[in-house]
Amino acid sequence: MHFYVGLYLLFYIWLFSLTGLLLNHPGWARHAADRRSETRSEAQVALRPGTAPWEQARQVMEQLRLTGEIDWPATSPEGHLDFNISRPGDAAQVRVDLASQRASVVRFENTPFATFRLFHTFNGSRYNAPGTTRDWALTTVWALGMDAFALGLLLMVGGSYYMWYRLKRTHALGVVALCAGLVLCLLFLVGLT
Amino acid sequence: MYRLTRDLHLYGGLFVSPFLVLFALSVFFLNHGKLTLQARPPEDTVAGLRLPPGLADAQGVDAIAAVRQVLDQCRVTGEIGFVRRIRAEQRLVVPVWTPRRETTVTIDLRDGSASIARRTMSLWETFAYLHKSPGPHNAAIRGNWFWTRAWKGVADGTVYLLLFISVTGVYLWFVLRAERRVGAALLLGGACSLVGTVYAILR
Repeated sequence: MHFYVGLYLLFYIWLFSLTGLLLNHPGWARHAADRRSETRSEAQVALRPGTAPWEQARQVMEQLRLTGEIDWPATSPEGHLDFNISRPGDAAQVRVDLASQRASVVRFENTPFATFRLFHTFNGSRYNAPGTTRDWALTTVWALGMDAFALGLLLMVGGSYYMWYRLKRTHALGVVALCAGLVLCLLFLVGLT
Repeated sequence: MYRLTRDLHLYGGLFVSPFLVLFALSVFFLNHGKLTLQARPPEDTVAGLRLPPGLADAQGVDAIAAVRQVLDQCRVTGEIGFVRRIRAEQRLVVPVWTPRRETTVTIDLRDGSASIARRTMSLWETFAYLHKSPGPHNAAIRGNWFWTRAWKGVADGTVYLLLFISVTGVYLWFVLRAERRVGAALLLGGACSLVGTVYAILR
């Protein structure tokens, strides 16, 4: 099982390892080629009266052919429907004047490098922002994929302990390696308070 | 060659396994957890602080260095998240993080005092904090605490070791002829599921 899970997850391991490195080293991506492009446009939209803001946002997205995860700004001026949409490849800021039903849209296209990096953090949820929930089906699929990947890693770790215990006649070196990792990990987890 | 690779794979894996468990467990909290903040934590007040000159207007690493002098007097240590200025009230708000604790220090520039509020992170939140640390935000000032820089080295080391283990794992599988067909099918299945999901999200 250790083999099989590892092989199935191999490309996920490489994806999350490399994107994790990139996130920890933002300087590696600080060059002109990594700058996202920006286009602005305006369009007339038709909103059904009496519908909730998230429903109106869906109507606007459908009419403007935008897809992705909705994110609400902290504040929005009176008489406006303001929201942001994001995916790893692109993002948009949508500002709708409800009286005139006119939408101003700023679209951002990420570079392939930035897109690759964003797959590490694309989960549609922030634990320190209670109001955030996933509202795009594909974000949920990706988040569940990340869960499955994490579960697979735990299975592989468990499998490696079992194999080490069963296949090796002496365990001294393994105990030293495991304890060294454990002590270092615990130092950061509980030792620095 | 096979034996050496197998031992390196095994012992490297055992060493890195606690970190993999930490990163893997934190994924569940990052994806599904929500922070429930309790009532405002009790605050301590420290008066009579010696405020370094230029503290009010310093930017970037200069601001961090100046704020650090004040934090030392308050006996607060950790990674300074950022420095927020409230000019109208002549206050600086500084979150300071260590694994398991978030301390918010509010420095009053008028009378040289500081109020200090401490909040203990849950174990899950600590996992998530370490998973995201140091991260891409505020790169110019990030790593202003020794242990954040040390953790960055450990997190990088975990990735390099994981990449090494994955490559040696592929070698160890390939040597076993009997497992090649099933393994290749799983490798292909994993690649297809990843590419398919990525394609669906991007299209």
